[in-house]
Parts: sequence; structure tokens; C-alpha cells
Amino acid sequence: MMVNKEEKFPVAKRFDVADVQVSRDATAIKPKVVANMIKKAKRPLLITGGQLLKDEKLVDFAVKFAEKGIPVAATAGSSKPLIEKGVKPVCKTYTLHQITQFLLDEEFQGFDGQGNYDTVIFLGFLPYYLSRMLSSLKHFSKITTIAIDEFYQPHAKFSFTNLTKDRELYYSMLQEVLENL
Amino acid sequence: MFELKKGAFVVDELKNVSIRIGKVVEEEEEWEEAGPTIKPGILELRKWDHKLLDRYEPFYAPMQDFCNLCTMGPCDLSMNKKGACGIDLKTAKARLVTIACCIGASAHTAHARHLLDHLIEEYGEDLPIDLGGNVNVEAPLIRTVVGIKPRTLGDLREALEWAEREIVKVLHSTHIGNEESFVDYESKSMHVSMADHVGMEVADIAQIVAFNLPKAEPNTPLVDTGFGIVDRSKPTIVVVGHNVMYARPISDYLEEQGRLDDFEIAGLCCTAHDMTRYNARAKIFGPIYYQLRVIRAGLPDVVVSDEQCIRADLLDACKKAGIPLIATSDAAARGLPDVSDWPVEKIVDALVSGKLPGVFLPVPEKVGQVAPLVAEAVFRKHGGERKYRFFESDEQLMEEIKKCTQCMNCVFTCPHSLRIDQGMAHAQKTGDLSKLAKLEEICIACGKCEQVCPKNIKIINVIMRSNYDNLYNKTGKTRVGRGPIQDTEIRKVGQPIVFGQIPGVIAAVGCINYPDEMRSIVEILEEFLKRRYIVVTSGCHAMDIGMIKDEEGKTLYEKYPGDFDAGGLVNVGSCVSNSHIAGAAIKIANIFAMRPLRGNYAEIADYVLNRVGAVGFSWGPYSHKAASIATGFNRLGVPVVVGPHGTKYRRAYIGKPWKKDKWWVYDIKSRQKVNIEPAPDSLLVAVETKEEAIVQLARLCIRPNDTAQGRQIKLTHYIELHQKYYGDLPDDWHLYVRSEADLPLKQKEELLKVLEKQYGWKIDWDKKKILEGPIRQYDAGFNPTLVEEVYEKYTRR
Repeated sequence: MMVNKEEKFPVAKRFDVADVQVSRDATAIKPKVVANMIKKAKRPLLITGGQLLKDEKLVDFAVKFAEKGIPVAATAGSSKPLIEKGVKPVCKTYTLHQITQFLLDEEFQGFDGQGNYDTVIFLGFLPYYLSRMLSSLKHFSKITTIAIDEFYQPHAKFSFTNLTKDRELYYSMLQEVLENL
Repeated sequence: MFELKKGAFVVDELKNVSIRIGKVVEEEEEWEEAGPTIKPGILELRKWDHKLLDRYEPFYAPMQDFCNLCTMGPCDLSMNKKGACGIDLKTAKARLVTIACCIGASAHTAHARHLLDHLIEEYGEDLPIDLGGNVNVEAPLIRTVVGIKPRTLGDLREALEWAEREIVKVLHSTHIGNEESFVDYESKSMHVSMADHVGMEVADIAQIVAFNLPKAEPNTPLVDTGFGIVDRSKPTIVVVGHNVMYARPISDYLEEQGRLDDFEIAGLCCTAHDMTRYNARAKIFGPIYYQLRVIRAGLPDVVVSDEQCIRADLLDACKKAGIPLIATSDAAARGLPDVSDWPVEKIVDALVSGKLPGVFLPVPEKVGQVAPLVAEAVFRKHGGERKYRFFESDEQLMEEIKKCTQCMNCVFTCPHSLRIDQGMAHAQKTGDLSKLAKLEEICIACGKCEQVCPKNIKIINVIMRSNYDNLYNKTGKTRVGRGPIQDTEIRKVGQPIVFGQIPGVIAAVGCINYPDEMRSIVEILEEFLKRRYIVVTSGCHAMDIGMIKDEEGKTLYEKYPGDFDAGGLVNVGSCVSNSHIAGAAIKIANIFAMRPLRGNYAEIADYVLNRVGAVGFSWGPYSHKAASIATGFNRLGVPVVVGPHGTKYRRAYIGKPWKKDKWWVYDIKSRQKVNIEPAPDSLLVAVETKEEAIVQLARLCIRPNDTAQGRQIKLTHYIELHQKYYGDLPDDWHLYVRSEADLPLKQKEELLKVLEKQYGWKIDWDKKKILEGPIRQYDAGFNPTLVEEVYEKYTRR
């Protein structure tokens, strides 16, 4: 399951070398594994961030996730391009900070009132901002967190490896996730 | 000799007795009935804090999941485990935030102590506190917290002593084996942050009255701001830090000598603000992240440092650039020899000859003489030839760029993960510097990248040189900090703010760790200025605003007036001037609503939380001072929005609008506990983008006490901005609707339909009235409070 040196993917290196904790680091995983985990999830949620406003391709990928039936909570204004492409986010107004606070609460029943989410996927965030939210979820919840940004996120449960040198490889991995959903 | 204790004494048959009189205690003027919490200790406002923290639950995002503060550790606290001392991860994080707030509070309070002791020595303790004819409530924080009405510099000592005592007490609580509850640590961080606000007020009042800084004048002068402001043909003195006490005599000395025009005095960080407040001929280079830009460009002939938010390697940076350094504050002696007792000539010689790279000189008057003499001599030595462009030549720049191997070590250490590798690669391939130039707009010039570069590339210099022309031309005007808000201004805007007709007050306060280009702060604030919110600013935000010009070459200061009124842009001044922003909120409760201040903090904070639509905004927070300033605002009932780096403070206060039982108040009018809309729904929350900042700021201006007209105006802005930046109606707009009169006029019918269809509300379509649905009905006499004592006090009447 883990990415290793022999494969086409670079080795996982935390987005900030100093963002170190003693607890487990994220398992760097391949696209197919991400797809399988999402498929296995009872209550998955994709949260999109502000980087969608700077990278149209991320919007297209988020649209495809929505088309596959994954509910999308759009933060930081990412709702606008998504709505323009026909997506109906389950949440548009709250920040990732607020949503994380909600997720941490066992009484939270989700944005549709059907119960909290068991697997949350994160796409399109400033790495240092997302890192703090993943740290919170790691220490204070049982939610499975999957980071599919181009930077390896050590505090997620699962993360893409570092793809910062090769943006095209990153896009192809997102595509591979979607193809296997 | 013996000492008589305080009190009245009768001494018969005095012989050979000398009497020394200490402080003469005059009978205190009965200016206001004393409230319940004069000079509160840790516990007196705990109940209020717990009210806030029950609704706005603390949120923790650990940076580290271990603790190594004592020798029983290090301890693994991950997954909220307990360490050897018994503390769990949440409580450990709360303790760290408390420590950060203690650091912030002590910075401002020690600053106040330095200033006050020095000023009392120079001007005497009887110097009256006169903040201008339109300011009668001279010290709203001190009145409310400490319960005194200071009339002289000497009176400020009592407030300062209280603040110092409370800081020590809270710091004590962070020792191993003390607090067990993270909520109680949060209460303590709020307490020490309230002390921080008092410390700031002492500092700014003292310097305003002693140095004759602007006294609540809306139309202060505009001063040059930005990298390219200095006349290169003059010796340049650069002052950096936050305590103008040490650098001010430079201006006096040059004025006495009739030589002010022969020099350039420009500042970095808040000392720059305060120098311009003292003498509007001084200039502002910029905030902390301009330090390496300015020094490495070789712009200063001498640097004078004082305290706080100065690079810890300032001496090293100056030494490498051949710039003598004069360190002045005991908070940052920088390993330099103390030359206080040296004659001026000897100090000047040591610095100009290079025998010493810098000196520690904590004597303001001597700094005033030494700095100009050194600057002039150094200027003469280089004859005006300075390596202004970071590299000697373009060839040298390209040689540096060619060294890059795209190892990406820099990217993985950059606080913004800037793609330096891509900029270098592009320049190597094409000779085009534009990708590197773009980085300058975001780079905070921390220099961490250079530490990890295996090729020792001067990355900061490469980035700065690549955007040199833009950097040099990013200059504009900052309106000099005005200090307090006038009582007369409060009288004018108090009602429209409380009723909601002025949709809100946005207080842009804090540092420069922006997630985006500097321009973004201007874009965010102009959205609110155009909509006639009141925008208040200070510190680094205030000077960055002065660097960004529109297409017509105007900064926001040149486009919007300096009045505390709708559509006004008010620069109060430096960090310690933030006290006037908190003070303005307090004055609204006092001057407009006639709420007593003296020892009455909880009532005032409760008033502010429920009625005053003010929101703090720190787009680029990084310092401990920013942590205590924000937390102090939170205790006062003012929510704060921070940029994404603000999550690294590890703690936020975020309410859960879906928990209906958390959103209630006592209504003094109906004498009932009433469920209310979640307004505001967070006290401290981070945003990621400028779009998100704008929307959050607008929504957090909503208050339970808004009149129908006020709510209509606030909702109109919130909904418009949400639609503009998020592409749809907000998810929560319906929560804020109490009756059809709250709805934006232009969208009324459309929104009524949404309420009926999407939310199941009952609408009388003939009368276009809401029959059923809102959390509560609008009541013009609604009089909300969260505080039982306030409820009892006003229902008794």
C-alpha cells in the first residue's frame, strides 16, 4: 500500500521539514488505494479549499468527485467555480476551521443530518493551514483523513506523496483515483 | 527611624522629628459608582469567560504532540494522552497559548513600564493626561478594568502595577502541576490578555501626552511609506522596533541643530509609526519583513534597534552589510558592550571605524546624538555609493541563479512553500526573472531558505533583485496614527453601530504573515470601505495599506477620510494604539448607552458582544502580541478573524450554530431566557483566502440586538458578498431572519420563496409576512444579556 522508492512516485517528504510530531505520520498511498478507501467509506466527504480559485484543473477534479456521488463541502470561496460547473456543495459558508470543529464533535450529524462523516478527503488547501486541521483530527477524532493535495501531509491518516516536482503526475494521480471510484 | 503605616495619626509634643512624606493620597473623586470587578484577579471574571467558552468552544490544532517543558519528559501527548505530570494534550496546548498571551502581554506592559518610568523622570508625575478637547473618557480600559480615572502620568502607575501583578499570577499558573482544565487555562489567557490591553493603553496614553503625539485628530498628515522612499543623497538613519522612546531624541537633536533636512529618518515596524506621530517628517520603510530588504540593500547608514519583532540576527545582518548597529532596549542587548558611560565621540569613533560592529546604548539622549553623527560619518565614507540593488551587477545575479539545482530544500522550509525552484529553473532556461519577481510579493524575507541551500545561494537577494523596480516603486502614503477615538465621534456613530445602520467596524490589526500578496489586505478592506463600514487599522497592516496604490496612484488613505465614521479609514497608530480600538467599543457602551465603566467589565463585554458589530481582522498574524491582542478582544466580546497562519497559534474559539441549546440570552425586557440566532458564531476563526476573509468579516458583524433596519443592512451586505464570492446564498442566512423586515429589500420576494420552499417557513403571501419559522420574533425592546448579575440589576429597576 505504501509508496516506495522503486515506483514512479517520489518519496514522501513532509511539506515543511519542521512540522514534526511524535505520533504516526501519514501513510503515503497510491491513487487506487485512495479510491478503495473512499468506496469503503460509509459517510465520505470531500472538502475543497481556496487553491481551487487558482487552479482550474482542481475544480474539474472536484466536479468529477461530485459526479461520482461524493458530497462536497466547499470552503474559502471554492464553491463559486464549483457551482458554475453544476455542483451543489453541501456546505459553502463555513471555513475549514469551522468544519473541522464540527467534525470533532461526536454529536455532529453532518450537513444533511444523516450522521457524522467517517472518511474526509481534502483537496486544494494551503499546506500549512490544512496541516493544523489534520493534526486536530488526528489527535481528537477517529475520522479517517485523506489528503490528496500535491504536498505530503504528515498528520493525515493517508496522504498522497510529494508531487511538487511534477504537477502532471499529480493530476494523473487524481485522475486515477476518479477512474477507480 | 520608624515608618508609620497608612492612616491618620496624632503625634504630640514633636521634638527633633523630621517627617518625610511619601505619596499624598488625595480623596478620590466619586466619578462613578464602583462596579463588582475593580482590579480583578484571576477569578473575578472567570464566570464571564466560562460563559463565552461554553458557547465558543476552544479548538486545538497541535503543532507538536509532545511536551518537553520539564525534566520528567519529554512526554508523548498524542491522541490526547497524559504526560508524566498528568497534563493532557488539549490542556498542554491551552497552557502554551496562555504562555504566548503572557509573552504578548508582558511585551506591551514592559514597554509601558519603560516608557512610564522614563517619562515620569523627564516630565514629572504630575503631567496631566490631556488627550484633546473631544476626549473626556481618556482611558476606557483603565476605567473599566482598574476602576480609576487617571488624571496624570503618575496615576497610570496604579494601572500598570495591576497589569504587572496579573501577568505574574497567570504566568505562575503555567508552572508544572497547576491548572488541570483547558477551559480554565483559556480563562487565564483571556485574563492576561485583558491585562495586555491595559498595558497598551498605559503605554500609548503616556507617550501621547508626554511626546505630544496626535490627540484623536482625524486628519493627521500623510507620510511617505515603502522601500523607495529615502533620498539617497542624504545620510539615512533607520529605526526599528516598537518603543520610540529611544529613537525620538534623534529627531530632537537634529531639529535643535537645524539639520533635520540633511538626514533621512525612516523606520521599520511600530517605531516607524511612532516616529511619524512624533514628527511627520519621518518616513516608514515598512513592517518587519522589510528588515532584510532594507538592510541587504544597504539603505541605512546606521540602524537603531529597540524591542519586539526585530530579527534576532539583526547584528549579523547589519555586520554583513557594513552597517553599524545601536541597540537600545534591555529586552534586546544583542551581546553588545554597554557604552552608556562612554563619551559620545568615543562611541561614534568605535562604530564608524568598525572597531565595534554595534553598541548597546540604553540612554535615549545619547542615542539622539550618536546616531546622526555615525550616519553622517558612514555616509561620508562611502560617498553615497551603496549597493542598492542587492547584487553588483546583472551578471552576478545570473551567476547566483545558475547555482540552483532545484533540490527543493528551500521549498520544504519556506513558511509559504514558495516555489523558488521553479523561479530559478525558469530564469536559468530563459533568463526571464518574472517568476522569481512574483515571489517577492509574498516573501516575508525570513531567510530560512538560505540556511538550507546546499549551494549557499543568497535566495533573498535573488528574489528582491528580480523584482527590484516594483519593490522600489511600491511606495505611497500612510496617514499618521491619530491615537484615540473622540467622544464626539462615538456620540455620532454609537447609535447607528448598535442599531446596525452602520453595518460594522472592521479592525485590521496585526502582522504581515499574509497568505497572499500584500495587495490582498487592501482589496479586502476596500470592499468594506466602499460599503461604508468603519475600518480601523494599526501596526503592520496600517503601513502595508500605505504602500499599495490604485490605478490613479492613490492609497486607501488618500481615498477615504480618517474619521471614525461610516466609510472612514482610521489609523490609530502603533501596536499599543490598539487599546484605542478596544477603547472605542467600550466608549460606545458608556457614552451612547450610558453603561457605567468602573469595575464593570463583564457588563461592558456583554454589551459589546450582543450589540457592537465590531470584528477584528489579522490577515497575517505571527507574533505573541497578536495572540494576546486578539484574545483580549475576544474577552471583550469582539470576534477576530485571522489569516491561515493564525491556525499555528494552535487554538481558536469556534461556536457550533447547529447546537441550538448554546445560543440563548436573558431578555431584560420580557424577563425570559430567549433562544437567539448564532450571532456572532465564532470568536476566533481562521480563513484561507481573501474571498473567505471578506465573507466571514461581514457575517460576524451581525449582532442579536440589531434593529430591523440594521439587520436588513447587515444581511444585505452579507448576502451580496456571499453571492459575489461564493456564488450562491449563504447556508445560514435564514438563521438571522427574525421577520420579513430583516430581509434585503431588493431580494425580499425571492428570499421569502426560498424560506418557504427550502426551509419550510409559513408565509402570508397577501401581506408578504413571515408567519412561522424564525428562531425568534423581532422585538424592538429586546434587551439581551448573558450575565445573570446584569439581568438582575436591570430587571430590579
